[in-house]
Amino acid sequence: MVLRDVQLPRIDLDYIKLYHEVHQFLSYEALLLSERRYDDWLTLFTDDAVYEVPIRVTRERGAAWEFSPTGRLFDDTKETLAVRIARLNTEYAWAEDPPSRVRYYLSNLLLTATDAGSLEPARDVIARYNVLVIRTRGELPDIEFVSTHRHDRLRHTEDGWKIAHRTITIDHSVLQVRNLSFFL
Amino acid sequence: MASVPEYLYRMRETLPKGRVPAKIFNDPQIYQLEKERLFSRAWVFLAHESEIPQPGDYVLRWIADLSVIVVRDEHGQVRAFRNACTHRGNQVCKAEMGNASHFRCSYHGWTFKNTGELVGVPYHREVYRGQLDKSEWGLHPVRIDTYAGLIFGTLDPNAEPLETYLGGFQFYLDFFLRPGPEGTEVYAPPERWVADTDWKICAENFGGDGYHTPVAHQFGFALGFYPSSGRTHFMGYAVHIPGRGHCIGIGHTPGLPPFAGFPPEVVEGYQQALSPEQISVFRDARMSVATVFPNLSFLIQPFSLTPGKPGLKFCTMRLWHPRGPGRIEMWTWCLVPKHISPELKREIYRVYSLAFGAAGTFEQDDFENWTNLSRQHAAFNADTFELAYLQGLDWEPLSDFPGPGYAFTPYATEIGFRNLWGTWLNYLLTPPGEPVDPAKVPPAFSPAQQPSSAESGTYGFVGEE
Repeated sequence: MVLRDVQLPRIDLDYIKLYHEVHQFLSYEALLLSERRYDDWLTLFTDDAVYEVPIRVTRERGAAWEFSPTGRLFDDTKETLAVRIARLNTEYAWAEDPPSRVRYYLSNLLLTATDAGSLEPARDVIARYNVLVIRTRGELPDIEFVSTHRHDRLRHTEDGWKIAHRTITIDHSVLQVRNLSFFL
Repeated sequence: MASVPEYLYRMRETLPKGRVPAKIFNDPQIYQLEKERLFSRAWVFLAHESEIPQPGDYVLRWIADLSVIVVRDEHGQVRAFRNACTHRGNQVCKAEMGNASHFRCSYHGWTFKNTGELVGVPYHREVYRGQLDKSEWGLHPVRIDTYAGLIFGTLDPNAEPLETYLGGFQFYLDFFLRPGPEGTEVYAPPERWVADTDWKICAENFGGDGYHTPVAHQFGFALGFYPSSGRTHFMGYAVHIPGRGHCIGIGHTPGLPPFAGFPPEVVEGYQQALSPEQISVFRDARMSVATVFPNLSFLIQPFSLTPGKPGLKFCTMRLWHPRGPGRIEMWTWCLVPKHISPELKREIYRVYSLAFGAAGTFEQDDFENWTNLSRQHAAFNADTFELAYLQGLDWEPLSDFPGPGYAFTPYATEIGFRNLWGTWLNYLLTPPGEPVDPAKVPPAFSPAQQPSSAESGTYGFVGEE
């Protein structure tokens, strides 16, 4: 979540290729969510994946933390993400019937190695990027939006890229969505 | 001052017949009245003591649209103040939580100790010729009182003590607040979000709306989460404190061991902390849901991370903070027993957060329903749109129930809601300056009127086995 220790990689052709590969993966993933292809989306996570959204608290400058060390809006593993999806797949997920329209605007992608090592596809990489999540629902002309930053640990596997650990931080400390019946 | 809309006087007549005008749930005039006559006089929940454990710890809270600092001073005493500098009214505290010995206004620099005392006035000699009496200009205190870790505040200097206000509801609150002799603590800061619904809709639901569960949260039955079946879902008690508004639903599942779903150390904790009468009421509780008038609620229910696993019981505390007519700011906490291990607390929190909070699988559906119905309540003629609050009009209270208030069985009934809205109406119809008299709240049930039509034994609903 903090940029302080990040070594910015040198831009060469390998980096550009890797960058586009990751960008394509994340854009594809976002499209799966917008199209509500949740079962397909779930396959993009590693079996030991963590998906977490900490509670943000407005603190004084210099406070020990702004994101609660204990509180989570989502405190999920692949197992509980599967439960959320199973719920959405029932006929009784009223919060999403009719479904919300959710769009994910990705930007400011920064790709780095997980440690001081070199950035190469054989290792996990860290993707930091912004996502503006915009939801429209029913006939309401208003939008609900969530301005977020994602910190992903991505893993290259035989089946392509997978999400091993996703931490989503939200800019609002008081959300302006009625619920989070969609994924961030 | 807001005037009283005509339909509130009509409601005095219709409420005992089980009719409530929808408009009360979304009307700017009502919201004004609520600020002037309800939130200015009731005991409003501010914070849990565990949120400010150390001297200097503070949190920012609200009473209606009044910002309130709740702080533990250097001697350990909890205090509350209007978060406004006495010079120009600027916020002296801008963070939601933290630790401070002093609060300094960023406008002209007046500085207050965390006891509220004004101790610093820049250029005192030059601009006041040294003659400002600082003792007159401390932060405005808000009267507070506590029960079992809960800090309440009231703006009414003549309000009766919190103990009287709770009116015996402490007997039931202990189930949520005393899972052991050491009580509870918050696991994390509150999760907060705003939504277009009225605080009253939510407070009512958590006053014991067992009726909505099998339908609104039908996914839980469909996926196999609930340990109760459709047939036994409504067994248990509904209790309310007449004239006070507080109400609770207690859902029973027969055949389970005492305090099933709680870890052994909590089962033991309850045995130590609760009286035999309390144990007899809560021993068989599968779940329980309660509202402290006006806008604080609690829920204990079992849930698991995946369907079919044994349920683990969590406790959530929620504040339905009014943000405007038909607009709410939601605050939700997870309370955990203080005496259990950090690992167990975390396990309970994970189960809680899958079920409640903005992303909670239960909360999602509630807010869908609540925001949708609130739009209908705003219609221009919603004062004549009377909603059906008919359940249990003629029910007999249990005669041998060991707890305070009126108790009924089964637990899904609207009796407590009529008492809730009768209490609310009493506040709104009592002019400022006059004491709010609980005896003026009409009875929420009258068995004598219709003695023959009790149907409390049938529980037919979607999802029944």
